[in-house]
Amino acid sequence: MKKYTLKRILTSLFTLLAILLVLFILMQLMPGSPFNDEKLTADMRAALYAKYGLDQPIYIQFFRYVGNMLRGDLGVSYNISKNTPISQLIQSRLPISIQIGGMAVMLGALVGLMLGIVAALKRDTIFDTIATIISVIGVSVPSYVFALALSYTFGFKLRWFPMLFSAKDVLGSSVLPSVSLSMFTMASIARFTRSEMIEVLDSDYMLLAESKGISGPALIFRHALRNALIPIITVLAPLIVDLMTGSLVVEKIFAIPGVGSLLVTAIQSNDYNVVIGLSFIYSAMYIGIMLVVDLLYGIIDPRIRLAKGDD
Amino acid sequence: MRFDRRISRRSFLAAAGVSAAALALTACGGSSSTAASTAASTGASSAAGTAAGGTLNIMLETEVQSLDPQIATDGTSFEVIADYTDGLMQMDADGAAVPALAETYDISEDGKTYTFHLRDAKWSNGDAVTAADFVFGWQRAVDPANASEYSYMLSDIGQVVNAAEIIAGEKPVTDLGVTAVDDKTLEVQLNVPVSYFLSLMYFPTFYPVNEAFFNTCKDTFGTSPDTVLSNGAFILTDYQPAATAFEMTKNPDYYDAANIALDGLAYQVIKDSQQALMSFQTGALDLTLLNGEQVDQVKDDPQFTSVGAGYLWYISPNIDAVPELANENLRKAMTSALDRDAITGDVLKDGSAPCYTAVPPQFATGPDGSDFSADQTKFADSCAFDAAKAAEYYETAKSELGKDGFSFDMIVDADDAPQKVAQVVKEQLETTLPGLTVNLTVEPKKQRVQDMQDGNFQLGLTRWGPDYADPMTYLGMWVTGNSNNYGLWSDAEFDSIIEECTTGDLCTDPEGRWAALYDAEAIVLEQAVIFPLYGQCNAEMISSAVTGVDFHPVALNRVYKRAAKNA
Amino acid sequence: MAEKAIRLGGESTAAAITQAVQELYPEHKFTEAEFARKDNAAEIAVDTNFAAQSFWKDVRIRFFRKKSAVLGLVMIMIILLLAIFGPGMNAYTYSGQDLSQKNFAPRVPGIEQLGILDGSEKMSTTTGTKIVNNYVEKGKDDVYYWFGSDLYGRDIWTRTWEGARVSLIIAVAAAVIDMLIGMSYGLISGYFGGKVDMLMQRFLEVANGIPRLVIVTLLLLVLQPGMITIIFALMLTEWVGMSRIARAEMLKLKDQEFVLASRTLGAGSFFIIFKEVLPNIIGPIITQVMFSIPTAIFTEAFLSFVGLGIPVPQCSLGSLISELYNSFTTHPYQIIPPIVVMSLLMLSFNLLADGLREALDPKMKSM
Repeated sequence: MKKYTLKRILTSLFTLLAILLVLFILMQLMPGSPFNDEKLTADMRAALYAKYGLDQPIYIQFFRYVGNMLRGDLGVSYNISKNTPISQLIQSRLPISIQIGGMAVMLGALVGLMLGIVAALKRDTIFDTIATIISVIGVSVPSYVFALALSYTFGFKLRWFPMLFSAKDVLGSSVLPSVSLSMFTMASIARFTRSEMIEVLDSDYMLLAESKGISGPALIFRHALRNALIPIITVLAPLIVDLMTGSLVVEKIFAIPGVGSLLVTAIQSNDYNVVIGLSFIYSAMYIGIMLVVDLLYGIIDPRIRLAKGDD
Repeated sequence: MRFDRRISRRSFLAAAGVSAAALALTACGGSSSTAASTAASTGASSAAGTAAGGTLNIMLETEVQSLDPQIATDGTSFEVIADYTDGLMQMDADGAAVPALAETYDISEDGKTYTFHLRDAKWSNGDAVTAADFVFGWQRAVDPANASEYSYMLSDIGQVVNAAEIIAGEKPVTDLGVTAVDDKTLEVQLNVPVSYFLSLMYFPTFYPVNEAFFNTCKDTFGTSPDTVLSNGAFILTDYQPAATAFEMTKNPDYYDAANIALDGLAYQVIKDSQQALMSFQTGALDLTLLNGEQVDQVKDDPQFTSVGAGYLWYISPNIDAVPELANENLRKAMTSALDRDAITGDVLKDGSAPCYTAVPPQFATGPDGSDFSADQTKFADSCAFDAAKAAEYYETAKSELGKDGFSFDMIVDADDAPQKVAQVVKEQLETTLPGLTVNLTVEPKKQRVQDMQDGNFQLGLTRWGPDYADPMTYLGMWVTGNSNNYGLWSDAEFDSIIEECTTGDLCTDPEGRWAALYDAEAIVLEQAVIFPLYGQCNAEMISSAVTGVDFHPVALNRVYKRAAKNA
Repeated sequence: MAEKAIRLGGESTAAAITQAVQELYPEHKFTEAEFARKDNAAEIAVDTNFAAQSFWKDVRIRFFRKKSAVLGLVMIMIILLLAIFGPGMNAYTYSGQDLSQKNFAPRVPGIEQLGILDGSEKMSTTTGTKIVNNYVEKGKDDVYYWFGSDLYGRDIWTRTWEGARVSLIIAVAAAVIDMLIGMSYGLISGYFGGKVDMLMQRFLEVANGIPRLVIVTLLLLVLQPGMITIIFALMLTEWVGMSRIARAEMLKLKDQEFVLASRTLGAGSFFIIFKEVLPNIIGPIITQVMFSIPTAIFTEAFLSFVGLGIPVPQCSLGSLISELYNSFTTHPYQIIPPIVVMSLLMLSFNLLADGLREALDPKMKSM
């Protein structure tokens, strides 16, 4: 197990390094330049390139970046927040994205699980149909439509919740964006839970448990759900990361200072360091979560570890 | 007694605010006059009643890019920096330069030496604002190590002695033609007389920086309330880089604090204009920008106004690289085929006004005090919409070029308004000039600008905002070899007029220079070097409780020094 | 009972059972009949459960038994027909502007008599709501916009179906191409295993670790914007899921007897992968394609929102939504048709995919 863990961590680190290199190359391919104001002369642009070391060959830039990164320095922003260290930008923006994304995932997972369980237990009844309809609508309607409708109804008309994100009322103002973002997660989890539960419920060990006289909540939660949960977690993990960067439009609607809008602005304004920094954090979180899930999976279910060649 | 005085100050402020609003509004849309008069009545009535104050809630479209006055380049950053920092001069309600930190100033006979006498003012850490602070700030602006994008304000535009050489790295920053004669006296040397020099002084690039304080923050300068110093009307109390919400409170030590009515400013970045309007309706915002689509919703509302944004939007044909566009008749056909009234009235709807001049109205005032481009009919012959004339030019162009059909790509910013305009332009050109096709290529603005600078385009929809209050900020662009002469057009006569007006004899003859500039503009329009479209205006909602917000098309777009909010 | 036991367990079990029964029920006497083979050939001959029928017939029966899946299929058919013929059903073109007829509310001949869809709209302004009818105000009595007109006076009916057509083309093309690439990648990676698999999976991990937004935006910036570029960009982001499924299926099947048999008979790797294994995993693959179509529609809509969609004045459902989004509070009728069509399309593809999944492999898990 130790050997397997070590191997997985090493390959993950190697993957991250490769991603960083790819990101660097992608930035080189990007048309335009971070310094492209209408009013900027060619000399001035050259001076700015020199100031930020962008006139150096790419491999030098890369090694310098990796060196700086090991010391915790991710460079500075070129234009969207001039000369601000990327680490500072991430520090101020990422927690908000994590918080709203986290709330959305928790909400979505909770409601989704309940819908899925109900649908599976009452298979082919009206409950199943209702749960299915809710989950299909959840994956069919874009989250910004939910966002706009929620903000118009509950923010503007009824005034139950603030329409815009506010640092003074983080919890209250996160409600509407979290709900609109949770719809997709809720729907996918509900569908997945349903099919997992059905499979588990049909399995021999459930038959055994039932014949041993276990029934009611104990049967569902101790035996069925526990076994259905493992695959659900693997689906949930990448959703968390996606929600944090993919919430761009919802961020725009609720004026949330998150990383999604920052990333898009950075791409459009060629702010290389911001793009690389944010993408790298994204990749690190993604690969980190995958690694944790993988290792957990190995602990829970030794067959997987063996299948992956832990010799 | 004290209460009375306060009331009278209120009503004075209200009146000042209204006149400012009225002035700013004149060019933008018909609804503006009603807005101003209503604002006047509400302002007057409230001035007599409640005491003003409160915090003004302001919507911003984009985040602040930098709070470093010598690094910032965008309108949002400039506005915020100017809220808490004063320069030598400030803008009055009409946009004219009036003394701020400079109590008085002297200009030498030859117009090449300016001496500013500073008033007693304090930084928010208690230090006095001295002439050395200005010297330090200006030297930062030209220091090649800082690579300030607006350094050309000191060199090309301001013509400060040695600025160009320092930027090029040929001389040390200490050679800059600005000296602190003593703590309260600042002397500036110019290469040539610059008629608009005083109006540059309200540009944040020329703002002072306290050297001792700067050295305690260095890299973190301007990134938090603790790393900025205020000497202006407000003090930054809550801010972090790229923040979407931040606040300021009134500066009690401001030299003119007695005349600042607001208790503070609260900024909120909202990128979705529908959300912004809804927030405005709930009372969470006092001042917000609208999208043209929302004007239908608010056009009867007295709180709606339209304010000039200073930008001229125009189409630049690539005369050098596209042989067909080198044909003057084709260009004339195209510019005459554009119905600017439909573009501004039917599609933009935000109050933007059609423009038939190469220099947009409302920022450059001549020696006789009149607006350079007030008369929009002056060159209307050469560019106004006229389908018959367009067809005539088109036929001539077709026979000259020996072609029956043309197809051009037009590059357009990926923003809302430019895309709207481009779609209408495409439709108008294709309808009026059968056989001509326009394909739209939408790109992020940075890329579009780069493509145009590289000459990698056929038609480009672009804009230009004035840097200083003189027609030259526009006309200077089309000189042979200028980096903003995207179409690489070249005309000896035009070049010689501009030369005469910048460094030649006309420099010291304001009337003669003015007349010559009209000649130059005529050449640009008659040859259809650009197809001017419209002067951009912004549709804004200003709460009826708020008075005295000054809107300016140049430099500082919004100034709140005279603003008041009735609780 | 004993007979069954014998059938299952053979002679020794039979003996054990006989002995056990004898101990428990000493009075029981075994007869010869109890050990005889049961003659029920007539009964099982008509057993439909085990009647020989082709896999596809089976799929068809299971699919049509599921009402929601059929509903999905019907709705897709309707939208498809409208996407093909809808733009031609009136005289307007998708790009033709008429600024004098902008922002007209929906008006349908016939239905207008009922007082709905008669061209009037309730506008909520900041100074109160008011009812306007642009047709009446501008004296355009013989003008009809079934879904209304947009801010340039373009017909929303025509644009909605034109947009649906473009969205469908983009989504289907992207899904099919990503199937081809993802499937081949997964199959090859899974079949060869070892070093090849390791390398291919690391590459996949790198490709997947970079935020899609970065790759897609970059691609759209580098290449000429247009339908082909968008298809290419969508394909790049979707093939990973497909390759995972293909690889997992391959790992399951590659050690089975029919593969071994084929290899013993001298079949090459290419033949085994594409001729032996592929037909056996076509079910999960088709299901995944069906699921990736709505994802592609969604992603395209997202790209439009970021300003990287199909170039104006062409339109897709996504670009229509992002374009009309700004009129949401002023003229809500404008954005409703594309949103409804897009949601219906998503819904139908999801229902269809669900149905297909159950029909093709009742035991398969969703991904």
